Amino acid sequence: MAEIYIMLSIGIPWLGAIVVWLIGDRKPKLQHLLAVVFSVLAGASSLLLLSEVGSGTVISIPIGTTYGNFTFVPDGLGVYLAIIATVIGALAVIFSVDYMKGEAQLGRYYAMVLFFIGAMVGLVLTSNLMLMFLFWEITALCSYVLISFYNDDPKAVRGGMKALIITQIGGLGLLLGAIVLFAFSGSFDINVFLANPSVVPANILSVMAFGFLIAAAAKSAQFPFQTWLPDAMEAPTPISALIHAATMVNAGVYLLARFFPAFEGVPGWRLSVMIVGMLSALMAAIMALVSVDLKRVLAYSTVSQLGYMVYAVGAGGFFASQFHLLNHSIFKALLFLSAGAIIHSVGTRDMREMGGLGKKMPFVRTVFLIGSLALAGIPIFNGFWSKELILESGITHGNPIWIYVIMLFVAGLTALYTFRCLWMVFYGEPKQDQHVHSTGTAMKVALAPLALGALTSWLLVGLFGQMLERSLPAHEVHVLGILEMINEVVSAPATWIALAVIALGIMTWYVRNSLQGVAKALHMPAEFARNSFGFEGINDGIITSVQSLGEKLRVTQTGQLNWNIFGILAGLVFLIAVLVIGA
Amino acid sequence: MLYIIILVGVLICAFQAIISKRLLVTALWLAGTSALVALTFYLLGAYQLAVIELSVGAGLVTVLFVFAINIAGETPIPVTTIIPRALAWIFVILMLGLIGWKIIPDPILATALVKSVDAGFQQTVWFGRQLDSYLQIMIIFAGVLSMLGLLKEEQPTEMLVVEEEK
Amino acid sequence: MNISAPIVIVLMILGLLGIGIYCLLITRNMIRLVVGLQILAKAAMLALILVGKMRGQPSIGQSMALTVIVADTIIAVIGLALAVQIKRRLGTLDLNDLSTLKG
Repeated sequence: MAEIYIMLSIGIPWLGAIVVWLIGDRKPKLQHLLAVVFSVLAGASSLLLLSEVGSGTVISIPIGTTYGNFTFVPDGLGVYLAIIATVIGALAVIFSVDYMKGEAQLGRYYAMVLFFIGAMVGLVLTSNLMLMFLFWEITALCSYVLISFYNDDPKAVRGGMKALIITQIGGLGLLLGAIVLFAFSGSFDINVFLANPSVVPANILSVMAFGFLIAAAAKSAQFPFQTWLPDAMEAPTPISALIHAATMVNAGVYLLARFFPAFEGVPGWRLSVMIVGMLSALMAAIMALVSVDLKRVLAYSTVSQLGYMVYAVGAGGFFASQFHLLNHSIFKALLFLSAGAIIHSVGTRDMREMGGLGKKMPFVRTVFLIGSLALAGIPIFNGFWSKELILESGITHGNPIWIYVIMLFVAGLTALYTFRCLWMVFYGEPKQDQHVHSTGTAMKVALAPLALGALTSWLLVGLFGQMLERSLPAHEVHVLGILEMINEVVSAPATWIALAVIALGIMTWYVRNSLQGVAKALHMPAEFARNSFGFEGINDGIITSVQSLGEKLRVTQTGQLNWNIFGILAGLVFLIAVLVIGA
Repeated sequence: MLYIIILVGVLICAFQAIISKRLLVTALWLAGTSALVALTFYLLGAYQLAVIELSVGAGLVTVLFVFAINIAGETPIPVTTIIPRALAWIFVILMLGLIGWKIIPDPILATALVKSVDAGFQQTVWFGRQLDSYLQIMIIFAGVLSMLGLLKEEQPTEMLVVEEEK
Repeated sequence: MNISAPIVIVLMILGLLGIGIYCLLITRNMIRLVVGLQILAKAAMLALILVGKMRGQPSIGQSMALTVIVADTIIAVIGLALAVQIKRRLGTLDLNDLSTLKG
């Protein structure tokens, strides 16, 4: 049965992509309907896959004896990510029915969204490294197409190109690791590799480990690749919710978590992972604090929370990082979708032009409040439990304490920027000329389950842990039942310290008027942060130099085919000459 | 001896294919080249491939060419070339000289053609290199889709406007 | 003269290669361009089969040559379709008129 569910989970979205594209843009209502139907079916089939976890079934498509087989294994790590991808995908598609009403080229939009959902499910379920690379590249392609969806807006196109280039650089790291694995062990199979990492000699193993770290950092927008995610916010908001908060950026964390047992022995790897996570968390939290664009704040917040997850993987807290991934997908998708509802109503993304929307949009205010409380780590909401587990795993396992202290500080910053965002949008004085549309039904239908999830998903911790432990023999999963978790979290001193820091963060916002002096003193660093710590400058420098080089090489393009062929053949002759002489 | 006759035949046919002025005649010379190359395949022991090359190269491609030439028409094009002929000759001879210099002295080529046996054509294509078959299927699909896209007539844009106004 | 069979085949490959490349460099007609590509493909197929036979693995060489046949048929199909469309839009098959990629 598992084969059927896996085939359905990947095949239904892809079939839906082709069908919606072929219907054409003359029938938008049919396109909306079909997209919703296909994505909901995909969600159902991946939920059915839950019953097959740990059964060890492997689906194998033979592709000849040279490369091994294309295998799919439904283990706990893959299945829950597949569920997140399809269920949140379905909710984002439902949301798009209202958000994209009246837009042109819906066929392209829905086709790419469904194609992406199928590819993401394939990425997490496969255990063949070459196939994982293929799905990785498909998700990067869909992300690029969807970011540049409004392709007559130069900012959107630029954001899309940037995302594509940076994630492709990361993809090279993954390809390098895959080729190295094949060269030394003769097969691409991940589970075989994880059971016995020493088939690859130690120094090559560290090459692989750092290659994968680069790939994961580029895909998850971690330091030093974090600049593509804020610019990717030019995409339509359901895309930001789905791809850039809940699924594609999780692929990097997934990669690190999946390969952790193989790489934890590599000297310096765990420390690098922790430092990458910490730097991303810290820088992104500061940048979120000084930003005035609603989606940018959420984008930086995503980078920061992913930093937490990466840090947890490096610290050895595998279960904590996956649990936080689950919770984060839910509440971040919730925040993004409600931000989409706000932006669609008010018409602008600038928070300085919003204010006092709480009275006019009560439903959105409630769900956004739930999401923000989860993000800030307030008790009872799901973010609290997983964040505490992460901070705890930072103290144990013999990890450096200074990184833990910085992560604690970032927790306080998280609370601070969350409440700042919440206040600027929903409370305070409404601006003069604000016209607010009401929220559509489809948007409410999409937002409500996510809000419910943000309140309750932590209750699944026992089942979640058991599912992971049953099906991942190579990882050490630290399983907790609900009562054990509550006990552990409540009785750990780290929790109370963290709560105190969060309360301090909230207080700081409320007494901000009396802290004006501090704000003025921090003016210079704030400007520096607004320019994203100089990274934008580096990007611009690279782009300008490449473009000027291209301008200089323009004379070689005569536009005539015969000369182009001549050029190709001249290169070939040169190569042959080198071979002949060097022989 | 047979090989030398075939060699001369192939080179003449290919050369005439390039030189002839009329496109239909070019297509026919190309068909001739394909047939002789298929014969060479047979002599080299690639029996299945000879049949495929004969039917595809000498049959399908020639028919395609005839169709395309009929649709596109045969307007004469001036013979002056963009790259000077002398340069092209020198370049081609240089390249062939280099490759030939590298390859021909190789001692393995001095042995006669022997019949070697391994897993067999059928086994290799369908079981050993199955990924190739999947890729070929994907190429064919991509080709067909792009053909459909290329040959589609432009849809009249007035219909779209009327739909939106409704 | 005792020239062994593989040398003759190599000469055939080199000859076809040279003719194909010469055609690509010289022609100004789009359909003749496709002819040149076809000739090059035949040279490639011959080379693959010959090398497979020489190295004692004939079936691998032949399966690669099969892929080349499929790919180059598709190339011929799409190339000719493109030529027909260009004739319809621009009215000419001359390569010199297709210089919109000029830097």
